[in-house]
Amino acid sequence: MSVLEQVIHVVAETLNVSPSTITRESTAENTNGWDSLAHVNLMIAIEQTFDIALDVEDFAKLNSIQSIIEFIEKNVT
Amino acid sequence: MKKNPNQQFAAQTRKALKEQGSNWSKNLSFPEAHALARHLSETEPPEKEFRLGIIHTYTSDLLDPWLHFHAVIQGIDLKTYHAPYGLNLMESQKGSGLHAHAPDMILFMLTLDDIHPEFSNPDPELHLCQRNNLLEDAVKRVLEILAMFRAYTSARIVLTLLPPIMPPALGIYDAQSAHSENIWRASLKKQLADTLSNTLESTLFFDMDQILADIGGFHFFDFRFWYASRFPFTPLAANEFARRLVNLMAISVYPKAKVIALDADNTLWGGIIGEDGINGIALGPEYPGNTFVDFQRRLLDLQKRGFILALCSKNNTEDVHEILDNHPHQILRRQHFAAERINWLPKVDNLVSLSDELNLGLDSFIFVDDSSHECDIIRSRLPQIEVIQTPSKPVNIPMCLEQVARLEILSLTEEDTLKTKLYAQEKQRKQLKQDANALGGDLNSYLASLKMKMHIEIDSRKNIARLSQLTQKTNQFNVTTRRYSEQQILDFIESDKWIVSSFTLNDIFGNSGIVGLALFHRLADEAIDIDNFLMSCRVIGRSAESAFLYAMLDYFARMGITQVTATYIPTQKNNLVVDFFNRHGFTPENETGHYKRDLSASPPDRKLFPPIEIEIENTDT
Repeated sequence: MSVLEQVIHVVAETLNVSPSTITRESTAENTNGWDSLAHVNLMIAIEQTFDIALDVEDFAKLNSIQSIIEFIEKNVT
Repeated sequence: MKKNPNQQFAAQTRKALKEQGSNWSKNLSFPEAHALARHLSETEPPEKEFRLGIIHTYTSDLLDPWLHFHAVIQGIDLKTYHAPYGLNLMESQKGSGLHAHAPDMILFMLTLDDIHPEFSNPDPELHLCQRNNLLEDAVKRVLEILAMFRAYTSARIVLTLLPPIMPPALGIYDAQSAHSENIWRASLKKQLADTLSNTLESTLFFDMDQILADIGGFHFFDFRFWYASRFPFTPLAANEFARRLVNLMAISVYPKAKVIALDADNTLWGGIIGEDGINGIALGPEYPGNTFVDFQRRLLDLQKRGFILALCSKNNTEDVHEILDNHPHQILRRQHFAAERINWLPKVDNLVSLSDELNLGLDSFIFVDDSSHECDIIRSRLPQIEVIQTPSKPVNIPMCLEQVARLEILSLTEEDTLKTKLYAQEKQRKQLKQDANALGGDLNSYLASLKMKMHIEIDSRKNIARLSQLTQKTNQFNVTTRRYSEQQILDFIESDKWIVSSFTLNDIFGNSGIVGLALFHRLADEAIDIDNFLMSCRVIGRSAESAFLYAMLDYFARMGITQVTATYIPTQKNNLVVDFFNRHGFTPENETGHYKRDLSASPPDRKLFPPIEIEIENTDT
């Protein structure tokens, strides 16, 4: 699975929606169910799935598929 | 990406996953747990609905996925309502969101700061000196808050306090200080718990500190979520907290567990007695014998919780008895088992006959065995029995029953702690009955030889927990199987319209504890309805039911009541009482299950009373 596919899988699973509704362009703004509570769960899910540690400061930035992918590509070796 | 363990779990049934305890779930990531819960709810939709209401002063919504996950594993369809943030007393009132949700359980997730304004006082000096004086006040405030909710609901109330985020003010020195925060916190918890059990029914203090101790402080709090979202838990802590909460729910939706039926070889000790002999089995201070000693200790703990132990072993009786009687490190002796089947018959047959002897349904059995073969047979032949296969590694054996939800208890009565003894007395009675039969004696002379005394209490507040427990646990001798919470029982006792009557039975072998309960609804001055009439199976066969019913009818006749109505509601289990009212002078109304008896036309006849001395105590006057 590509990073994109993995991220979409994690986001869809956490938000409880079909992966087909999530694309590279999805953001917290334009995605149903991606509210502040789901976002905390999403942060946990990303940490556990990609085995990385996030700072509180990262939480707000990781509010789109694109930004999550960029963060993972930068931080996962 | 980590390897997805879901495929491994998704291939298993819900029951198999549940049987493995939930320790395995600790290693699931959030999306994995989520996916597994979704998969299970599609393949095996949960059958039992449970409604939870949460009052919280820190974020509770984030627990939902974990609660959902564990609920699905336990087969519970969980509906959760999170009240608006804060300790809002309006939620207790009719018309609130909580009230509309009609919860089975209300969970209060509070912090220390919420229960007394002074606790959030930022001045630590004031804190240390004055805290002791505030303790009583704080407990009183909590009680008042919970009582407000109690007034509008009969749901079980569960109170939990978040452990302190910060270590004690005095750090390492805390333990030695006269103002130790840890000791103060322990005494606050004790006072809270004592006050709850003494004043409010169906209320549980859930000690979250135990989870903190079990998983460790470093793994419990996530400061990032706490400071950013006021959610204190790591995924590990959230998972464990949810698991224990769901266990509390499972206890109330599933049939009560009552019996732990134990295999012997490689379960109570290591090795096979028939081959290794008393000196060859592993049982004692060295590994692996010490793991079996600890497991036996744990079984004794479970007996203290009110579960009765039974032996179900393929062995020569005398071999097993030699260990029970003579092995120096054996903890469980013969008197600890309420019944035993040590023979070479199939265990299915033995469990069925144990169920007959103990008068307890198979769905109240938990079967523990090391053999996957035996476990599989019981699973397929007696699916109503919960099967626990002991782990193959001895170090895992002592804790192998810790995750079984149905072995948790929500109340503990005197009857529970004495249960095995009571069953032992019953064994002696049966022996006497056999002896009497062998001598050609009739039933009445056997009964007379027991020299029974029945003590009936009316509207007594002393044993509400036991009375509620009887309505919850009794299945066979139960005419309507209406279940009532402690709060509902208390309401009946306090109402003029209801009469709550219970009895204990004393005979030459001992006292039964409270074993019978009847609830009467006063419909009019001269009319009363038998809302329920039930008796523990422990005393079946001694005519106690007739004595109890006649005594109450006699009591009502003296009060001027003439019309008595009654109902039989059939269930899968209460066929025992299908003709109970017919046999006691009631007239059936067609096939409706309704019965009536006119006491003025047919007053209770003393000559029909069984040979039991009866004493009635009315504590309500």
